[in-house]
Amino acid sequence: MSAPSDPRTMGTVVDSRRERLRRLGPWLVLGLTLAVLCVLPFEMRPYHREMTMVFFINLIMVTSYRLITTTGDWSFAHIVLMGAGAYGAALIAKHAGLPFGVVVPMAGIVAALVGAAFIVPLLRTAGFGFFIASFAFGELVRLIWVKVQFPFGGARGIINIPSPEILGLKLGSSIPYYFTCFIVALISLTILYRIDKSRMGNAWKAIHGDEMLAECVGINVAHHRSFAFITGAFFAGIAGGLLAFHMGAIDPRNFDLTQMVYLIIWVVVGGAVTFWGPIIGLIVVTIAFEWTRPLLEWRPLMFGAILILFLIFLPGGLESLLPKIGPTLCRSPVEQLARVRRWLTTFVART
Amino acid sequence: MALLETKGLSKHFGGLKAVSDLDLSVEEGEIRGIIGPNGAGKTTLFNVISGTYKPTSGEVFLNGERISGLRPSRIAAKGGVRTFQRTALFKDFTVLQNVSIARHLLANESLLGAVFGTARRMEKAHEARALEILEFIGLADIKNELSHNLPHGHQRALGVAMALATEPRLLMLDEPVAGMNPQETARMTELIRKLRDEWKITILLVEHDMRTVMGLCEYITVLNFGHKLTEGAPKEIVSNQEVIEAYLGSDNILEDDGFAS
Amino acid sequence: MDSATLIQTLLNSVVASSIYALVAVGLALAFGVMKMANFAHGEFFMVGAYCVYVLYGLLGLPFPLAVVLAVPIVALLGLLTERFIFRPTRRNVLAGFMATAGLAFVLQVAAGRIWGVGIAKGVPTPYAGTAEIGDANLGWQRLIIIPCAFAMLLALRYFLYRTKFGKALRACAQDPEIAALQGIRINRMTALAMALAGASAGLAGALMAPILPVTPYIGHGVVLIAFIVVIVGGMASIEGAIIAAVLLGFIHTFVTTLADNLIATMVGVVFMAVTLILRPKGIMGRERA
Repeated sequence: MSAPSDPRTMGTVVDSRRERLRRLGPWLVLGLTLAVLCVLPFEMRPYHREMTMVFFINLIMVTSYRLITTTGDWSFAHIVLMGAGAYGAALIAKHAGLPFGVVVPMAGIVAALVGAAFIVPLLRTAGFGFFIASFAFGELVRLIWVKVQFPFGGARGIINIPSPEILGLKLGSSIPYYFTCFIVALISLTILYRIDKSRMGNAWKAIHGDEMLAECVGINVAHHRSFAFITGAFFAGIAGGLLAFHMGAIDPRNFDLTQMVYLIIWVVVGGAVTFWGPIIGLIVVTIAFEWTRPLLEWRPLMFGAILILFLIFLPGGLESLLPKIGPTLCRSPVEQLARVRRWLTTFVART
Repeated sequence: MALLETKGLSKHFGGLKAVSDLDLSVEEGEIRGIIGPNGAGKTTLFNVISGTYKPTSGEVFLNGERISGLRPSRIAAKGGVRTFQRTALFKDFTVLQNVSIARHLLANESLLGAVFGTARRMEKAHEARALEILEFIGLADIKNELSHNLPHGHQRALGVAMALATEPRLLMLDEPVAGMNPQETARMTELIRKLRDEWKITILLVEHDMRTVMGLCEYITVLNFGHKLTEGAPKEIVSNQEVIEAYLGSDNILEDDGFAS
Repeated sequence: MDSATLIQTLLNSVVASSIYALVAVGLALAFGVMKMANFAHGEFFMVGAYCVYVLYGLLGLPFPLAVVLAVPIVALLGLLTERFIFRPTRRNVLAGFMATAGLAFVLQVAAGRIWGVGIAKGVPTPYAGTAEIGDANLGWQRLIIIPCAFAMLLALRYFLYRTKFGKALRACAQDPEIAALQGIRINRMTALAMALAGASAGLAGALMAPILPVTPYIGHGVVLIAFIVVIVGGMASIEGAIIAAVLLGFIHTFVTTLADNLIATMVGVVFMAVTLILRPKGIMGRERA
């Protein structure tokens, strides 16, 4: 579907050049970023490399989570679905001895199956009900991991997950696994992006916009809500599989409520309307998270406060600032001052 | 065979019988009006036929096929689609996107198709058809406007365009001219007639505006308290004593519109 | 199960039902009025428990006084939550809910920083000794919860159905727009609802303080059960919440006695799933025109 053309950029030659730049710009940025990410692991300290690896895994998490939210369903079970993938991958790798390249997609399938079981009762709920019911289902699965010794290992979880290899190539060490996560994340994000931009992605957004209207123009709402949820679950499972191999050991605490709230913080800080919003949120919060390492015990408080402040003062997340930044930079200083004053008055009036 | 048929259709909410034991039969190519005082069950009837509500008892047939109990999207797939009394559109989408999304059923895209974009040529065809519909409705010039920026009359027309995009055989219009000014009303009336004459779509409409109903429909069903009070041509309806009493007992719409005089 | 265990389990079920009812009623009330969905409700319970720990355990005030003081303290917390979180996010139910998830973090860390995280705070039992009922023994500490909870719920009922404010609150829950047209001030009503929600959760926490190990994280399990109760009860219905609380109280206590606590919680979730499938609007829910 074509974007509405901006009347200001039509006509002159200069404008058409600018238009071309505008269209090419994002691709340039993307290419540059990918190139940097290919070189980076060789220049990084191992700690930062590990961090970037986890970042790739989290990238799959936020993007797949956002995909579910496009239907209007904010799930509270996404981390548990990741856990389902992680447990699935760990058990398959340990007991069936299947190779890494098979185990990770299977982790996705395991999570998708768990997601399919969740969505049946969840379809009866919407909005807040969906949120808390999905929370309860997530807890159910987590309690099963805690309670059941075989095969889940109870509260201590699963240890000694075999290190990954593809066709005899050992991926266990840091740099090869970095590239594994990088490539898997890249593929996952491409697929998720294509879905988001497709007719089906639009149908999901339509469900969010007006569920009853969507149903009446022929979109089977229950079917598509399930579809979105299960697709999201599949990618959460992939992320979980990568995480299990990365850590070598997993336990139920890796997938608890705290992790889920952090996932929500990423999405809320970035915004969930565009594909890029949650990614921006993840980058910003990850950096902030590393900065606050010395204040370990205070971290949940700080990020809890950030969550509250964003929801109150910037409910659209950082992405909602992007369209504003461009024009603002071009304005005259007088106008800028007037804007600041306006903003301050509304701020004071609000508090 | 009638295109739409209901047999003993009832919908109760607790003790309230919104629709009660209703038999209705609409022939292919009809423009059928449903009128009645406020609370007569008109909108509930629409909701039951279109699948938004499940009937308490009774059956609905579309083209001889039983559709009662199906989801609205299934009923839309079988050719029965409704519009809403409220202004219903996807407000973050452009006009063209609104119509395109309503071609969901015909596009029938799979997840793999979505990922690989295999349906691109099909998409071109869908877009062409969407444009054709917009042209017909008279919204083609503003196809790239965001739909929530449109004036009321255009928003209502867009609602009809979206319904048309599903390629219906039966179009159910819930107060299509509500809140419109006389020019918009005239345009919408003309449009509805053209839909039947040129596109061969059967129309079922609920409307409060008596002038529109009487001018447009060949046959009218009057509901009161969920029951069918009477049926007939507009002339018979206006002179029917029961109908006048039903309206006198409530809002007196016939008089308000200067119709009874 | 012999008769002594049976009687004991039945009594324990009544105790659990009373606590669940206290916690869930506040959640349902706040959700009914302007859809305020409070994720930090369990933390309200936790703050109530810490109030008793400080006032009774550390400062040595009499236990009943500590409980009575805990109620307005947590009610105040509810008021503040309404003013600074729910009111600015009123446009979007989920925003308020997620923001209170942030608040839960904040309160947990605050409690952990002030009173320590590691070891659970034991509150000495003010009413030692047990009552013998048939062959069963039940601690007085648990038994006093039943009349306290009943008193609170009856007071709440009296307030909602007999007083001007309470009627206004119920009108507001039914239809905020019409209520506003009748001159009811919505902001006052939402504040009142959150204060009541805080008060009832705080009372529950205060009463449970001598029984539970008090930690910053006790709210987590509490809120899970409260959510299950509220969903089973039909989201915004107070009567539904109480009935569901009794059901869950009995199920949870019996399963805990027969198996263990974890399994009881799992059964609770499954019960919720079954309710959602069979009666999507909850046990008290009804289809509306």
